[in-house]
Amino acid sequence: MAARQPRAVGQAVLRSKRARGAARIDDLRTSGALKLLFPQSRAAHMLQAVFLNTAGGVTGGDRLSIAATAGQDSHLQLTSQAAERLYRAKAEETGCLDVTLTVESGARLDWVPQETIMFDGARTRRQFTVDLASDARFLAVEPLALGRLAMGERVGSGLLHDIWRVRQNGRLIFADNLFLEGDLAGTCAHPALLAGHLATASLLYVGPDAEAQLAPLRAALGPFGGASMLRENLLFARLLAPDAFDLRRPLLPAIRQLSGTDLPKTWML
Amino acid sequence: MTDPLPDPMIPPISQTSEAEATQILHQWFSPAFPVGGFAYSHGLERVIADGQITSAAELQLWLSGVLAQGTGRLDAVLMAHAWRSDAMGLTELSDLAAALAPSAERRLETEAQGEAFARTVSALYGFDIGPMPYPVALGRAARLAGLPLAALLRMAVQAFAANLVSAAVRLVPLGQTEGQGVTMALLPLCAAIAKTAETAELDSIGSTALAADVASMRHEVQDVRLFRS
Repeated sequence: MAARQPRAVGQAVLRSKRARGAARIDDLRTSGALKLLFPQSRAAHMLQAVFLNTAGGVTGGDRLSIAATAGQDSHLQLTSQAAERLYRAKAEETGCLDVTLTVESGARLDWVPQETIMFDGARTRRQFTVDLASDARFLAVEPLALGRLAMGERVGSGLLHDIWRVRQNGRLIFADNLFLEGDLAGTCAHPALLAGHLATASLLYVGPDAEAQLAPLRAALGPFGGASMLRENLLFARLLAPDAFDLRRPLLPAIRQLSGTDLPKTWML
Repeated sequence: MTDPLPDPMIPPISQTSEAEATQILHQWFSPAFPVGGFAYSHGLERVIADGQITSAAELQLWLSGVLAQGTGRLDAVLMAHAWRSDAMGLTELSDLAAALAPSAERRLETEAQGEAFARTVSALYGFDIGPMPYPVALGRAARLAGLPLAALLRMAVQAFAANLVSAAVRLVPLGQTEGQGVTMALLPLCAAIAKTAETAELDSIGSTALAADVASMRHEVQDVRLFRS
């Protein structure tokens, strides 16, 4: 009998706080394959945390979890060290990533990882559970590419379930079930599905200035993106692009606009 | 999935005959039933204005994606769960259906039709159905009227398809017979979606119709619009 593939298990727990006018680490625990780096050399108004999967990607049976809280009045930005890669898995083994994000009163959290690259035969389920206080601000940007066009990679089949549930004061205000499964080559080609594109991004912004962001965001996204106010203070956008490289061109200014700060340095490499 | 055990909060399945059920569903899904479906294009108006659908064949392809991997399947599964649900479950399903709408106009499409449908069936049958998204209201009303789930789903998916064909016939434009040809060609797909929705788990549903989502968002900024979505 073939040996089971080794499974990566990793956990990261992070909490920020505001103290003496700066955002600081309040709680930090990591184990297994997940590491957290803090590239800033000194305290600033925003705490930047960079997560790193030392397993070098996700495959069947992996179990990764990130729980991050922006404590009262603090600003926490989470990004990734590199593009996350989803590798081929056996049909009965699905890798799982659980992300739990909590934003307390007066706080802001930005979830801005680099793109996820899904390879042929990958099987991953990602569950994002977000809880916002009534006056919290929240930005989430989730870019995804099916293979890399320049490398000649084609994704014929696989499974990716991205499930988002965002609650404010306990009430569900946003849900998204983005399911890619089965014949992915056909899904990419279909005009109502990915319409010939191999990359996509979803952007969600919750904040009192959401409506003011709508027009400039539409301009930044260009002809293959759309944005809409789903509720008061809640802006959602989707973007399609031929591949990951082309995705960044409209995405970087969009993130810069919505985050109101420069992009994480890891994005520039 | 089998029906849950008897629960006082869930209305019993009453004994409406198959012939009566067919008649009631025919009335509910008639374009004359005051739900206002003719006003919604589900983003088609934008796709057609952008020149991406110019023929019956292109319309059929686009609709097949929206049905099988977009709202068609998603709404059918929400409807099936609403049919089986108790009152508390209905609130959760309504919140989920509204939260899943990817654009303001798609949210309006499901909420305004649902509200109009709930108001009408409540007035006609004395049901107590408040405003809720269209698939949830349909599932609840069908259960209260004693209509079988399988027939409801088959009619609902087909009506969704037929309504979008009707929008496209006006927008492309296509001939009436060409439009009916598209609906006819989609019937087996509608039936298959309805069949799998009967037993699908709620966490097994998702959408891949990203271009349709983007089209509905971009419809908001289209210069000339006849449709509300």
